Amino acid sequence: MSDNTIKQMKGRDRVLAALKGEPVDRTPVCNPTSVATVELMDLVEAPFPDANRDPELMARLAATSYTELGFDTIMPVFTIIQESSALGCKIQWEQKDNWPTVQMREPIWTDVDDIKLPPDFLTHQDTKCVLDAISKLKKEYGDEVAVIGKTMGPWSLGYHCFGVEPFLLMSLDDPGRTHLALDRMKEATVEFGIAQIEAGADALTLPDHATGDLVSSDYYRRFLRDLHIEMAERIPIPLIMHICGRTVDRMGYIAETGFAAFHFDSKNKPQESMEAVDGKISLVGNINNPETLFARGPEEVCMEVHQNLEHGIHMVGPECAVPLQASVENLKAIPQAVKDWHKAHTA
Amino acid sequence: MAALNDIANDFLKDEIEEFIERPHERTRIIDAFARATPAMQEISAALIDGDNGTVDTLTRAALDDGIEALEVMDDGLIAGMSVVGIKFRENFIFVPEVLACARAMKAGMAHIEPILSASGIEPVGTVIMGTVKGDLHDIGKNLCIMMLRGAGFVVHDLGVDTSEDEFMDAVEEHEAPLLGMSALLTTTMPNMGKTIDAFIDNDMREDVKIMVGGASVTQEFADDMGADGTAEDAVGCVELAQRLLVELKQEQDA
Repeated sequence: MSDNTIKQMKGRDRVLAALKGEPVDRTPVCNPTSVATVELMDLVEAPFPDANRDPELMARLAATSYTELGFDTIMPVFTIIQESSALGCKIQWEQKDNWPTVQMREPIWTDVDDIKLPPDFLTHQDTKCVLDAISKLKKEYGDEVAVIGKTMGPWSLGYHCFGVEPFLLMSLDDPGRTHLALDRMKEATVEFGIAQIEAGADALTLPDHATGDLVSSDYYRRFLRDLHIEMAERIPIPLIMHICGRTVDRMGYIAETGFAAFHFDSKNKPQESMEAVDGKISLVGNINNPETLFARGPEEVCMEVHQNLEHGIHMVGPECAVPLQASVENLKAIPQAVKDWHKAHTA
Repeated sequence: MAALNDIANDFLKDEIEEFIERPHERTRIIDAFARATPAMQEISAALIDGDNGTVDTLTRAALDDGIEALEVMDDGLIAGMSVVGIKFRENFIFVPEVLACARAMKAGMAHIEPILSASGIEPVGTVIMGTVKGDLHDIGKNLCIMMLRGAGFVVHDLGVDTSEDEFMDAVEEHEAPLLGMSALLTTTMPNMGKTIDAFIDNDMREDVKIMVGGASVTQEFADDMGADGTAEDAVGCVELAQRLLVELKQEQDA
């Protein structure tokens, strides 16, 4: 909630206050997933795929969300595959203009008993890169802006390590073994999360893609709610849950996990989402990626930002990782629109 | 017009009662099941229940009894899958349940496809399908392919992570009038537009109708990208493919 009587805050303080549900001078602008784009890569000479594997380049590209775009957060973990790589998944690293992906057609695990965290899980190039980048960013921007890390939840790790189709079929054919698999995979989530805290992260995004586009809200309740409650207890830092797609039917459950915030997709309207969480969790979102940030201009971006603010969304940002071809002009329009809206509402 | 009680199978009657709400769909499905024999109804029921073992056994038994492969496919498997498609669209079931039904359909089709291939039946049309560059998600695409094949289309599946050149080469090689592109991620959806632009740049756009689909693809996005249409599920994909094929023929005849 913004409060006109509060003197101007630094980005980091603004974000941390919003995550705790405390008053802020204005609504923070956040990127819990990624705002890396080709334009920004060119600007600071930190292109994909190297910027996902070299801590220096990762930190340099991540910093642009603050230095170039004016966001209140820096998120160096652009992808969702760093720890999957460390677990042994085959990764297609791609080029500058394409996202790296896990080769889910070649799963590394077929049975629950295959699940093991490798001894080098936190020293592997692709997890260590994240830890080193967070340390660098914390050192350089620690007081000014919130440095957010990212650790994937067990449901998402299940897609990567078992393959989406086998994992979803296992959930139907053998719920007991699925529970066991999730319970074992969650240790990767917790370990990588805690390592990022030790490296200096102020908060963590925890994507766990139990989306309404794939599974029911009952699935979320049966398989994930208790695990997420446990993670909120074990990871001592504000957690931002991220699930793409339609999620309003499970937001009530998510709101009761103890997570600080939920990063929601534009498939869910701000008003219905605010009603669903009923003040129990902060919401971050939800500027549309494909139709607005990618295909429209700053004016349309501004309209969506204002809609979010009118409905009291606690932190504003893109709905998910932005397309790599999105324009810097459109991304800059987000913080500008937030500032303009607050100026108009304090005048 | 048939009535619900004209259907012998109680499981199917319950499914229709509980899940099929739109009147025109209800009428169509009741008519289809009422026309089908009890043996075909049983295959449909097992498929809707996601029971691949039973579908496998019943399909084999039906063919052994001399029932035509086309009848087993249309009245047993596809009739069942159309109920699954509606239940999925209306959020009564989700992807795990649909995958189980698809697994059951595959079990049945494994017996039927060799017979149909050998029979030389003229295909409805040829479709190139693939997930766009940078995206490795293919569950939705694979469901669409299964339904398109069931509806008589020849489908060439390019798999996942398909480049613009691979799409163009396949359309050219197979002289396909239809192309379907899939993307799950909002980050990779723009690659649909890039591919369509490549078809325009290479003077190939007039020869092919392009469908786009995926969980986040809307009609507005499809229009923005310059596609000819989108559908919200695999059943809709078949209807769209049939419509676009007619449109293309009309345009070429004009």
